[in-house]
Amino acid sequence: MKKFIINLSLIVIAIFVYILQENFFSWFTISGVMPNLFIIYVLFIGLFAKKTMGTVYGIFIGLIIDLLVETKIGVNAFLLGAVGFLAATFDKNFSKDSRITIMLMVLGTTIAYETLSYFVNFAIYNFNIEIISFMRTLAIEAIYNVILTIIFYSAIKKLGYYIEEEYGKSKILTKYF
Amino acid sequence: MYRDKKVGLVGIIITIAILILVVILSNRENNISFFENIINKCVMPIQNGLTYAKNKISGNTSFFTDVNNLKSENEKLKQKNSELEQLLRELEKIKTENQTLKEYMNLTEKYGEYKTIPGYIINKDISNYSKTVTINIGTKDGVQKNMTVIADQGLVGHVVSVTENSSKVEIIVDTASSVSATMSTSQDSIICKGTLDAASTLKAMYIPVDAKVVQGDTVETSGIGGIYPKGIRIGTVKKVENTKNITDRYAIIETAVDFNKLNSVLVITTE
Repeated sequence: MKKFIINLSLIVIAIFVYILQENFFSWFTISGVMPNLFIIYVLFIGLFAKKTMGTVYGIFIGLIIDLLVETKIGVNAFLLGAVGFLAATFDKNFSKDSRITIMLMVLGTTIAYETLSYFVNFAIYNFNIEIISFMRTLAIEAIYNVILTIIFYSAIKKLGYYIEEEYGKSKILTKYF
Repeated sequence: MYRDKKVGLVGIIITIAILILVVILSNRENNISFFENIINKCVMPIQNGLTYAKNKISGNTSFFTDVNNLKSENEKLKQKNSELEQLLRELEKIKTENQTLKEYMNLTEKYGEYKTIPGYIINKDISNYSKTVTINIGTKDGVQKNMTVIADQGLVGHVVSVTENSSKVEIIVDTASSVSATMSTSQDSIICKGTLDAASTLKAMYIPVDAKVVQGDTVETSGIGGIYPKGIRIGTVKKVENTKNITDRYAIIETAVDFNKLNSVLVITTE
């Protein structure tokens, strides 16, 4: 029952994240650049929940984004799935208690996700590559994601440990960074 | 423990405040005037005080008798101001309604030569790297892939995928978009491409060597390419960037459509 409530809450949060990204952050931008809340969302599920849960949620949410706004299905599903998998790997090797470590994880994941996404889309649509513009946008987006992580870290951590406890993950094996 | 929590909360509040400040400052068109405004606000009371003192010294004795009159006058003006503000709010509301109705009227009148289907935007792209929108009409309404989408002011883009009840439209400022166009005065052909860091401008490339590019010139679709019909307004030439090699020169085109405020569109089904 508790697991059902957790999953239901995560789906409700995903809907809230989508609404926030689509409506609020489309105008609350830094120099016209939005953050990517989905990366933070999937990363945190991967870090706190079961190993496969991050990947499954990543693929599921990515697929919905692909269906709703993208013209080619699969790119976001694959990449967000990879973020979930990467988060599970991070969980094995780093401590979630350090705010700095989490910030670095968000920074690195955002850069890796958007760079891969940009080049996969380039391979599909064959548009002109604009390296400087891309790097500027990417830098602002990554910093924006880190700022949001600082703001929401405490709340996410509380919910995260509740999920972790419910899914019975051992904290003893975690290697501290 | 309590102190840690307090420090954490203060940290979060400071971060939010900094974020809001960064968002406001980074999106201002003229940051200098913003700072000028702040400095003015700080300096003006001092400036006013000094001017007042100067006037007093130079023999202005009517001050005390005028104070009471000024106070009552100020009250009256405040009341009048609040009444006017209320009226202004009502007027703004009526203006917005009128604008929406006009938009629909203009759309159907302006593009009467085409058979069109009206629709409105239900979803905008959530990525920084692509610019697509979803509209509320699909195959059920007669929309098909590659149909042209326009708005009151000009060209919006074309349909890239379609379902029964909705369609995805790649707008002309998307990096994957390129539109064949002509400049209205010289009739020279150019290609207008979307760029990553601009939401309302296009890059006009492949400008013929002998072509004269005039700032402010209107750019329209040329009809070449098979997607967009001829003569739909794309925008105006904002700036011409000359390079060492004349074949590489390009122009910045300001789109006729403001994509941030775009709500209603028309899908052209046949000419």
